[in-house]
Amino acid sequence: METEEALQASWEPKIVAFLCNWCSYAGADLAGVGRLQYPPTTRTIRVPCSGRVDPLFILRALQNGADGVLVSGCHPGDCHYLSGNYTARRRFAVFSRLLEYVGIEKGRVHFSWVSAAEAGRFAELITEVTEEIRKLGPAKRLVKKKVE
Amino acid sequence: MGDPSKQIREAARKLFEEDKVDLIIGFEDGSLPLRATPCFIRKGEDAERLVWNSFCENNLATYLPKKKGRIGIVAKGCDSRSIVGFLKEKQIDREDLVVIGLPCEGMIDRKTVEERMEEGEIIAAEEGPDGIVVKGTDFQEKMKKEDLLPESCRVCTHRNPVLYDVLIGEAVEEQKVADPFGPIRGFEGKTAEERWAYFSGETEKCIRCYACRNACPICYCEACYVDSSEPQWFGKSIESTDTQIFHIVRAFHAAGRCVDCGACIRACPVDVDLRFLNKKIEKDILELFSFEAGEDPDRPPPLTTYKQDDPEGFIK
Amino acid sequence: MSLLADLTGSCQVLAPVRNGDSLVFDEIRARDEIHLSECNTRKSVKEIFFPQRERLFAYRGQETREPSFPDEERVLFGVRPCDARSLCLLDPVFDGDDFKDPYYCSRRRNTTVVSIGCNRPMRTCFCTDTGGDPFSLEGTDVLLIDMGETYFVRPITKKGENLLAGRPGFEKAEQDQIRRKGEIIEKAHQSIHSGLNLERIKKELDKDFDNPLWDILHEKCLGCGVCTFLCPTCHCFDILDEGDSRKGERIRIWDSCMFPLFTLHASGTNPRPSGKERMRQRVLHKFTYFVDNHSRVACTGCGRCIRACPVNLDIREVLEALQNPE
Repeated sequence: METEEALQASWEPKIVAFLCNWCSYAGADLAGVGRLQYPPTTRTIRVPCSGRVDPLFILRALQNGADGVLVSGCHPGDCHYLSGNYTARRRFAVFSRLLEYVGIEKGRVHFSWVSAAEAGRFAELITEVTEEIRKLGPAKRLVKKKVE
Repeated sequence: MGDPSKQIREAARKLFEEDKVDLIIGFEDGSLPLRATPCFIRKGEDAERLVWNSFCENNLATYLPKKKGRIGIVAKGCDSRSIVGFLKEKQIDREDLVVIGLPCEGMIDRKTVEERMEEGEIIAAEEGPDGIVVKGTDFQEKMKKEDLLPESCRVCTHRNPVLYDVLIGEAVEEQKVADPFGPIRGFEGKTAEERWAYFSGETEKCIRCYACRNACPICYCEACYVDSSEPQWFGKSIESTDTQIFHIVRAFHAAGRCVDCGACIRACPVDVDLRFLNKKIEKDILELFSFEAGEDPDRPPPLTTYKQDDPEGFIK
Repeated sequence: MSLLADLTGSCQVLAPVRNGDSLVFDEIRARDEIHLSECNTRKSVKEIFFPQRERLFAYRGQETREPSFPDEERVLFGVRPCDARSLCLLDPVFDGDDFKDPYYCSRRRNTTVVSIGCNRPMRTCFCTDTGGDPFSLEGTDVLLIDMGETYFVRPITKKGENLLAGRPGFEKAEQDQIRRKGEIIEKAHQSIHSGLNLERIKKELDKDFDNPLWDILHEKCLGCGVCTFLCPTCHCFDILDEGDSRKGERIRIWDSCMFPLFTLHASGTNPRPSGKERMRQRVLHKFTYFVDNHSRVACTGCGRCIRACPVNLDIREVLEALQNPE
């Protein structure tokens, strides 16, 4: 069993990334194909559209110990389903403010538009987000204690 | 300026005589001081039971989604805005509804009265033109109604029903509230630690009785996310994070739909400050999308539509 | 009250304290933390013996680990007789002939109940209708009666006697004190508004399951769980597993027959599909089924459900309507 200090010293952020199939996931895939380097901190969940992402997904990820969450979709106007990212934009405008308001640190939950061609952008984004979360440290709020 | 109780009874009787409704939902005297209680009448003779006073705190609109047939409903300002919400969401038919509108000057907050009474049990309460007289076994106090209103009534700018078929009495002057979101802004100004401390402290009191959800008119889903088992989104127990998620999501689900009627706060048996979440969302919805709940039955709910130029400063 | 000071020194004492504008039971360390008023606590004492969330066991792989039994001695102080009596109604369920819940039983064993009589019953009290009394001796180990400057102390059980043995501050009651105590008790009895005949009500309930009165009686009920959660005798619970295939725990939590999910079958059918069936069930359970099974009504007349109901649905009115069908 690792000691508390050892765990802390070796801590790497765990980020759950909800990527829309048509744009962001494809962009991430392109980054992979292009062997672009970025921190291996994300656990990707592919969704059909950023509009599919329910705030409950984000909360569940945080409750299960994710140090950060990223939701990424197509740029406005490019949504494969035409308007999914528009409704997502409205929804997350409200939700991100609510999360910050109750005390979840700014910088834990992120939203982005990344297109299928933006491999470099994706790698940059993950690097950026990882750094922000690394600065915040392991998530403590909303994290459900696991049974030993 | 007649007695509103009498006027409601007359209106109710007339509706039955003219066979316009099958059921009228209103208020009758409660079994405890400071209470009126929801009342369901189906014939003219029962109209005698209907009352109107400053104890009519419940939002009766909460009964509408499950009811069939032609219904008359007593509605104050906030209740009528809930009804507008139902019309937007196609939960009721306008033709089947007769709204008996009541201009309202606020409803007594029982918790405020109890706090002021401290020790004693309140045995009787009487409302008069110049205040409420509250009696205990060995005390009596007269209080001004304005001092006994909850925050949701204090910042209310829709005291007159926004839609009605029958209006009882005269319209009242709308309040001019300088900054209804003042306390929210104050809270926003605190540090994340302070805000988390408050939020987690409040939700720690919660006993997951769901009185808030059931009292809320806009929480009408037959399959509530709380009860979902495939998947189960979060735990059902009073464990802290499960309860925190319950409140975050319930407030979010009411985004753009909550009219700040205060039913949730009044229903809560352990005094969780629910409003500080709902009011924040109300403020954001207004700022982000220039939208107010319960205004225009034809304007779609804000999270079901979009504009090309919606704010996206928060998106990387 | 020197007894309290003495007790807090030797064991855990749980007593009513002020929390915001309500009273709750919590641990006290000093005697001035206690807050006794004529009103009862918001929540009942059942959670002291039957917690709202309780781990039954934890598992890891193939191993299970049960929580250790609570063995700390504690005193539950300042309980009203209706709440003390409610323990006698929970006992048949959790400490019955067929089944004993070891956690509940050890808490009951380790807890000494010191109740305080109700000199001024509340208007919402109807304990006498349910077989209780503002000075009932049921379920308590020591009964206190507030005499003004002093308390009349009466040990009821051996446990109560043991608690008081050797403690300071007691004097034998004098004749005029005993007389005054009698007056206090008499006055309290006179102030309770009584009027329910539970035997008659049981007969009416048993007569017609499909009584059309239920359509009317349930109508304003919101179906929230406030009455069941605050009720000292409501004891329905759900057992859930939280965790995954590798490790987790099995927990028991309070449940409510007022929730739609309570009788929802896996097939999707629900034998109690609407609020009417659920409310009918609640009343029948408390006022006739429990009587059939355990010879007493599962209600102590504490009045919490009446005070807390968001729509002022008054169980006394429901029972009166059933007792006197027009």
